[in-house]
Amino acid sequence: MSTMAGGAFADVLRQVGQGLALPLRSRVKILRELAFDLDELSADLMARGVPAEEARRRAAEALVPHAEALTALDRIHAPLYQRVTRGVTAHRLRAAERGALFALTSGVVLVEGLALRRVPLSGDPSTWLAPVLAAGGLLFALTAAKAFALFVKGDHRHPARGLNAILAAAGVTLALGVAGGFFELYGLALALEARPELAGTLLVAWLGRTAVLLAVSLLLALAGGLAWFFIVQWISVAEGGQAEILGIHPHPPTRER
Amino acid sequence: MTDDGFDVQGFARDINELLVLASLRGGAKHGYQIALDVETDSNGLFRFQHGTLYPILHRLEEEGLIQGSWSKEGGRRRKVYALTQRGERHVVGGADRIQDVVSRLLSVLRRPGEATA
Repeated sequence: MSTMAGGAFADVLRQVGQGLALPLRSRVKILRELAFDLDELSADLMARGVPAEEARRRAAEALVPHAEALTALDRIHAPLYQRVTRGVTAHRLRAAERGALFALTSGVVLVEGLALRRVPLSGDPSTWLAPVLAAGGLLFALTAAKAFALFVKGDHRHPARGLNAILAAAGVTLALGVAGGFFELYGLALALEARPELAGTLLVAWLGRTAVLLAVSLLLALAGGLAWFFIVQWISVAEGGQAEILGIHPHPPTRER
Repeated sequence: MTDDGFDVQGFARDINELLVLASLRGGAKHGYQIALDVETDSNGLFRFQHGTLYPILHRLEEEGLIQGSWSKEGGRRRKVYALTQRGERHVVGGADRIQDVVSRLLSVLRRPGEATA
């Protein structure tokens, strides 16, 4: 009795999906249920002798949610965060969220700095460590904001927005570390030329500074890169479910050579 | 219904919810089957239009009056709803409430008119 909904009702389902302001997973569940019901109801009507076109029209008329029903579904399936903050004005909520993100990022950078002071070899840190930590702080803030929007707030209107910024911040963090390493090396060469008798002391100090700088930048960039990868995969899986219902192949086959 | 005020919209919503619950007394069903059965059983008097069925189903599910479960058949996932015990009790209570409202309404409508001078 069943036919795949994607083709016949794809446009209708796409409109419903766009009309729902819900997290992707809730949206996909609703679309999946609707797609099945549309198929089955139209097939049932056709089995009773209703012409195919008329059967599809009647099924859509009965089952496809209009604005009022979409709003009701949004309220029913709203994430916990949206339910809890329903009484707070958008302006206040945005200010509170930004304040919390700033405080969290500052706290993380502070803890990071304090932890580094306890690490051996970090007694005489590179001047490049501060920009690396600042870039790491920015990376953390961008990742935390995106994760908060996706997993707590349930704001999935533009799930991929801001992901490139995370990747860029990770790249900048790593680039600053590597650039700092090169400049430290150049500094060492200059120092050795001026004071060759202190070669041993200068070399050990350079080694410590550069090791800390590179390790910190590499770890921060790696953490950011992993966070980016996780979020991208998660979005891909969630959007894949919606694409499957709409009958759209999420990854079109590449052209044969 | 409460004695301190009658909410017409709430009454209409209650009727829709009870129709869904009553339909599920016959066994677990998919959403479209519920819509079809309600229309058929009421001889076309009650009909869910414009997707109004889904907010009702999902609200009832959230309230624990029905239980939705997903199954996979023929490579497709489908959702089926079943009445819970709480839902069963709700139908009985709801039918009593509606009977009370209708009987009060009829008693007003059928009250003999006072003779005019």
